[in-house]
Amino acid sequence: MSASIQYLILFGLTVGTVGFVVSLYALARAIGRTRIEPGKNVPATAGSLSRDPVWVRYHARYTGYALLFLAFDMEMAFMYPWSVVYRQEGLVALLDMGVFLAILFLGLLYGWSQGALRRQ
Amino acid sequence: MNIAIILGSLALGAYIIAIVESWATYGRLRLAGPALAALALLGRESVLARKPDRLFFETAPVLLLVAGLLAVAVIPLAPDLIITDLSSGALFLNAALAYVLVALIMAGWGANGAYGMIGGWRFLGQFIAYAMLIVMPITAVAMRAESLMTTQIVISQVELWNIFYQPIGFVLFVIAAMGLAYLPPLDLPLAPGDLAGGVEAEYTGVRLGVLRLARMIIILSLAGATVTFYLGGWLGPWLPPWAWSAIKILVVTVAMLMAGHYMPRIREARYLALSWKLGISLALANIFLVGVIALVVPI
Repeated sequence: MSASIQYLILFGLTVGTVGFVVSLYALARAIGRTRIEPGKNVPATAGSLSRDPVWVRYHARYTGYALLFLAFDMEMAFMYPWSVVYRQEGLVALLDMGVFLAILFLGLLYGWSQGALRRQ
Repeated sequence: MNIAIILGSLALGAYIIAIVESWATYGRLRLAGPALAALALLGRESVLARKPDRLFFETAPVLLLVAGLLAVAVIPLAPDLIITDLSSGALFLNAALAYVLVALIMAGWGANGAYGMIGGWRFLGQFIAYAMLIVMPITAVAMRAESLMTTQIVISQVELWNIFYQPIGFVLFVIAAMGLAYLPPLDLPLAPGDLAGGVEAEYTGVRLGVLRLARMIIILSLAGATVTFYLGGWLGPWLPPWAWSAIKILVVTVAMLMAGHYMPRIREARYLALSWKLGISLALANIFLVGVIALVVPI
């Protein structure tokens, strides 16, 4: 199977899934519609109307992790092609990536020592 | 034909898992339970919250289901029983499952309710904890197989399953997979008893049904990924290949579902600290160890 056909199948799977969900919704609608009644559509905050707006700014308490995550996630972009040719390249590949990973790991240790790895 | 067989077995598997999950949670074995629950959800009103972000609210369940099904598409049940044998299969699995995060944040944001929102943000924290531990063990698996094709990865384990070849990677991957499928002890976005359902709090009726179905598919796809990457996929004596896949996937799923029974819920901050201080170090050590072994031993 050529790559374009494979991606066509995956696209068809996506469209089919959306169609499946839409037909489920149509079935549920055919069984009965939602009756509009006062107070029914209030979000669950212990039964009362939520006093404060919900869409506000939140303090993300994992900012240190998030920055380290960016660095590590970029590294993975290099790791995948490297892992496929690893055995062909042999020891050279191990040393190359070893140096790279060692630097990255030192970065992690540095972040740890500076208190990045805790809830802020 | 393959697609129909896999989707059919997926539906059957989701049904079996729904039975097992309710058994693990409530301690009662009800064979018709999931069918009755699905019918009840279909007949129930699907209320739209008061001031929703309609686009996010409607997209979230569909996106979650699509993510799960696309992940399933690259998991082989037998040598030629696979929907698409992509040459970048293992990477595609990651890419598909990355949308679980997007869908859950959308679900939390869309309904404009406090519990859902908190659940969504919590899952973002959980994502930063598990994400690296999904991809790093897979790299070590691909190093041994010299390919990202999932069928090649299974074939590379003919001599020795990866669970024995790289046990550290296996443990890290399973724990991260449980975080990804938000299974208890790591069910922070739902957190029943704490967030009143979290991201699912504002969903009712058929939309909730789709969300729950999608989660079953995601659990199955992750069990399938564990089996493919570490437990030798369809390999095994006597029985036909598809039977081995089915048995292994069901065993892994049941183990994942049962684990929550014996552990308290883990706070997101603690999970983050554990996976970055201990998990990443172990994952790097795993890559190095596999690298050395792969150069010394030919298997």
